Amino acid sequence: MSRAAVGSVVASFAVFIVAWKLVVLVSGYPVFILPSPELVGARFVKAWTDGTIEPHALATLVEIGLGFALGAISGLLVGYALARSRRVERIISPYVVAAQATPILALAPLLSLWFGPGLLSKVVICSLIVFFPIAISSMVGVRSVDQGLLELARSLRATRRQVLTTLEIPGALPSIFGGLRVGVTLAVVGAIVGEWAGADRGLGVLVNLARGSLFDIPLMFATLATIALIGIALYSIVVFAERRLVGVR
Amino acid sequence: MISHRSFGARGAVAIALVTAIVGACTPSVSPGSSGASAAPSAPSSVGPSGSVASGSPVDATSLTVGLGYIPSVQFAPFYLAQQAGYYAAEGLTVTFQNEIDANLVPKVGQGAVDLGLSDGTSVIPAVSQGIPLRYLATVYRQFPSIVFGKASSGIKTAADLKGKKIGIPGRYGSSWIMLQALLASAKLTTDDVTIVEYPDFGQGAAVAQGAVDAATGFVNNEPIQLQRSGTKVFILRIDNVTPLPGPGLIASTATVASKHDAIAGFVRATLRAMEDVAADPAKGVDAAVAVEPTLGQDRDLQTAILTATIDAWQGSGGAELGTIDRTSWQKSLDFMTSLGLVPNPVTVDDLVTEEFVPGS
Repeated sequence: MSRAAVGSVVASFAVFIVAWKLVVLVSGYPVFILPSPELVGARFVKAWTDGTIEPHALATLVEIGLGFALGAISGLLVGYALARSRRVERIISPYVVAAQATPILALAPLLSLWFGPGLLSKVVICSLIVFFPIAISSMVGVRSVDQGLLELARSLRATRRQVLTTLEIPGALPSIFGGLRVGVTLAVVGAIVGEWAGADRGLGVLVNLARGSLFDIPLMFATLATIALIGIALYSIVVFAERRLVGVR
Repeated sequence: MISHRSFGARGAVAIALVTAIVGACTPSVSPGSSGASAAPSAPSSVGPSGSVASGSPVDATSLTVGLGYIPSVQFAPFYLAQQAGYYAAEGLTVTFQNEIDANLVPKVGQGAVDLGLSDGTSVIPAVSQGIPLRYLATVYRQFPSIVFGKASSGIKTAADLKGKKIGIPGRYGSSWIMLQALLASAKLTTDDVTIVEYPDFGQGAAVAQGAVDAATGFVNNEPIQLQRSGTKVFILRIDNVTPLPGPGLIASTATVASKHDAIAGFVRATLRAMEDVAADPAKGVDAAVAVEPTLGQDRDLQTAILTATIDAWQGSGGAELGTIDRTSWQKSLDFMTSLGLVPNPVTVDDLVTEEFVPGS
């Protein structure tokens, strides 16, 4: 990242903090309604150094990792099938769309009942929320591969595998990565929703504890900041991978 | 390309605009607007909140009161006091709202809600975190959160819970603290039992189906449902071990100061209605059905719930309704401090005020 880019990121963050502070000063909200940025910052540092946040963050990261992997793999496979077969698309796309349209917040408690309160239900909830954008972006990406190149490959008697690895995957990658960018941030949401449906550990649990039992609103904000940082970090990893595999766009 | 100078000027204008918009939109945080409170009941059906009482629109003081998650027969005294005109006779116009404890407590502290129902396990950490609350009058003398299960499980004391599966809604709130206190009385911790979470409050069904050996619940809810199905139950109460202050009326210190007479009138009217309901539970059920007609579908169940609720109001010892037991508050404060739930030290005087209760 260039110095100018780093500078603009730092500047925009500074503007955000100043705006937050001004809102606190002008509104007069008490700490337990809207804490100031310096209070949240101090609580953030304390919560990490005294071990409050770490175990919860690790639990959430495991859920995100496994959920994203499951959702992405299934999304890629289903997306490819949807792209390659109109018949498959006619049969399964209504169910894919219905799964996306059904609020995950309504499904999460049921999934927690079916799969238990442990890691599995969180991974399933997370993967469900990740699946749709990756499936659709994969389908769109594969269909966007130049038909002329595909016909050329067929005329040269390229095998199915050769068509897949030399044309379809490289051609679909930009679109797939678009879906992965969306999916990885939704994976964070899915993990938190899964924890709200029943868990004894995780950043979603910590948000509820801070807000509802401890009334420690600065801790709640510090936890939300941690969730946001995880989302930003994971998104950056996907962008980095995209630039390595696809190039800068 | 945007120059740094123009970006800085535009950024400053944007900040000023945001500040102006927030300032214009910020409601005045004055004590006493509307409110809701936490109630010790599991979710059942959702219905409309209580109606506004009739009173002199010119002279009446408006109070908004929070009554917990959903309309319930447990709030019968509030409904009766409104319908019988007790609040109006005190010069009050009362509006009820329903809210969970986690949302209600900050709203009461901020003054967005005048009065609420909450217990010591919420008030103590809230005040310790700087939320300016005071507990004004006791509604439940007995802590309503209990551990229950089938009598056939053989569990009779807290020590019998060792190694058992216990269903809970989550590792938070009054039931979680109560469970820890109960286990501690038998020199156990939550590591000595297997905790199973039911975030949809299905632990009652889990006990009935034998999925868990025991569960946390409320004395006026789950055990009654089990008993009505013909199952004998055991109940373990924390009151026999460590008295925890049960739900009562709370308000912010600013509201207490600015609406002192109105709050005094509200407490008087509510305690009067509690006495009426205790003397004749059918009146309480009628008042609750008037607010939420679906409660009338099973009057026997609602009467059983209300009877158990009345027992929890009165407790043992014969103390007058509403009085505050400072000793139990101190014991509760000591216990919650030992759990690390009191980050900033507080005293009982920071938590309660007895100026509104009988005999003060």
